[in-house]
Amino acid sequence: MVSNSLSLNKLKTIISYIAAIMTVIAFMVFVALRQTDDFSFEPFFPYRNVILNGIKNTIFVSIISLLGSMVLGFILYLLQKSKIKYFNALIDVFTEIIYGTPLLVLIIVTAFLIGPAFNSYNRNLFGVLALIIYMSPYMKNVYKAAFSSISHDQYLAMDLFGFTPFQRYFYIIIPQVIRILMPPLMNNFSLIIKGSALLNLLSYPELFFTIDVAQSRNFAYVEGYILMWGLYLLITIPLSQFTKYIERKLSL
Amino acid sequence: MKLEIQNINHNYDVEVLKDLNFMLDNHNSIAIIGVSGSGKSTLLRLMSGLEKPTSGTIKINDLAVDNPEYKKHVGFVFQQHNLFPHLTLKRNITLILEKTRSKTKQEADEIAMKYLKLLHLEDQVNKLPKNVSGGQAQRASIARALSGNPEIIFLDEPTASLDPILTHEVLTAVEELKGLGKSFIFVTHVLSFVKDFADYVIYMHEGKIHECGTPDILDDPKTNELNEFMKKVR
Repeated sequence: MVSNSLSLNKLKTIISYIAAIMTVIAFMVFVALRQTDDFSFEPFFPYRNVILNGIKNTIFVSIISLLGSMVLGFILYLLQKSKIKYFNALIDVFTEIIYGTPLLVLIIVTAFLIGPAFNSYNRNLFGVLALIIYMSPYMKNVYKAAFSSISHDQYLAMDLFGFTPFQRYFYIIIPQVIRILMPPLMNNFSLIIKGSALLNLLSYPELFFTIDVAQSRNFAYVEGYILMWGLYLLITIPLSQFTKYIERKLSL
Repeated sequence: MKLEIQNINHNYDVEVLKDLNFMLDNHNSIAIIGVSGSGKSTLLRLMSGLEKPTSGTIKINDLAVDNPEYKKHVGFVFQQHNLFPHLTLKRNITLILEKTRSKTKQEADEIAMKYLKLLHLEDQVNKLPKNVSGGQAQRASIARALSGNPEIIFLDEPTASLDPILTHEVLTAVEELKGLGKSFIFVTHVLSFVKDFADYVIYMHEGKIHECGTPDILDDPKTNELNEFMKKVR
């Protein structure tokens, strides 16, 4: 009886999702049918290899940015927890500035002003660095939430049983924190993937830039953006589905 | 069990314990009672070595509680079971035995099963804490406290978050442990349990030991405060 109602529930969920997806498709079809201009992706066909390369580059810089911001975010987290007041203040000021800064502006400032100030004209490098810097306060918050989920009493218990610092992290803290860390981490990854589109400003050949180049030659602007939209969804939707799967698998 | 408390003061933001001095010998089941905020849980945590007092010393069985050796002699049962949530009931015990008491996997397994059986949990050993009842989780945490073979078990309101039926279930399980030859020091609000299980009662009031003695003091309080307390609790 219980398993029956459970599978019935599951069926309802699946049907609801199909209905929701159909709704979106119906809306798209309606919009498409209302168009009077010709619409075709064909003009992009000759650029398929360039665009494919753009997808690869987008994924590449996104992964680098994810890893970089995870490391920098952890450093920020540690500095915020530090007993040295100056560090706390520094992180507060930094976070406040980043929260109010458009990513676009940060990328330009980092690549065109900060980079040269350190004698570097490697704009791609500083572009990615901007993305890392931009995401780091958000990553810091992810760590904060994850680590605060371990209660004070659990630390007391670890103390009482005499775990070494390594044992605490390896057997107790990290296994619990990873479960909580994963979903927001993956959300941030989606933000990074979309944010990386702004690297086109630096002529970095990621997805946005490659389609932009194609558009400027075949003048199929609207089609280009639709194609771009579809390709970004192609990266982000599997990712968020994977996140949900992990969430279910690890939930406590 | 021999208990010596000397000049204990403890502050969080406010003064919780004030100049506590106390000696006790030859009692093996000590109940600490009192209203919320009377300092009873704090006293228990200090005696167990879980927290350090602002000033003063505590010795139990002639061993200072801040001595690193002391922790090997005590087990602690928290208010809310405080099992590690990502580990099964059994793993909660075996991990500690393997990593901090240098037992082999097999030895740890045997010890864990022995105590889980003692607490009637043999059917639940491979479940995560979230998948068992509050009473079962609390019993598992008692098994965990026992598994290190401590001399003294501290229980900090072990039934505070449980309903009356689960409270009864947990306290009955604790009473069954009487034959193990361990000493118990516990904080509780369940006075029937105090009368059944304790051989000494400490009544805390405003950060001081206000009245103490055998459980008979509950029926015949000497001080007004304990008298009032008994009326309210009844």
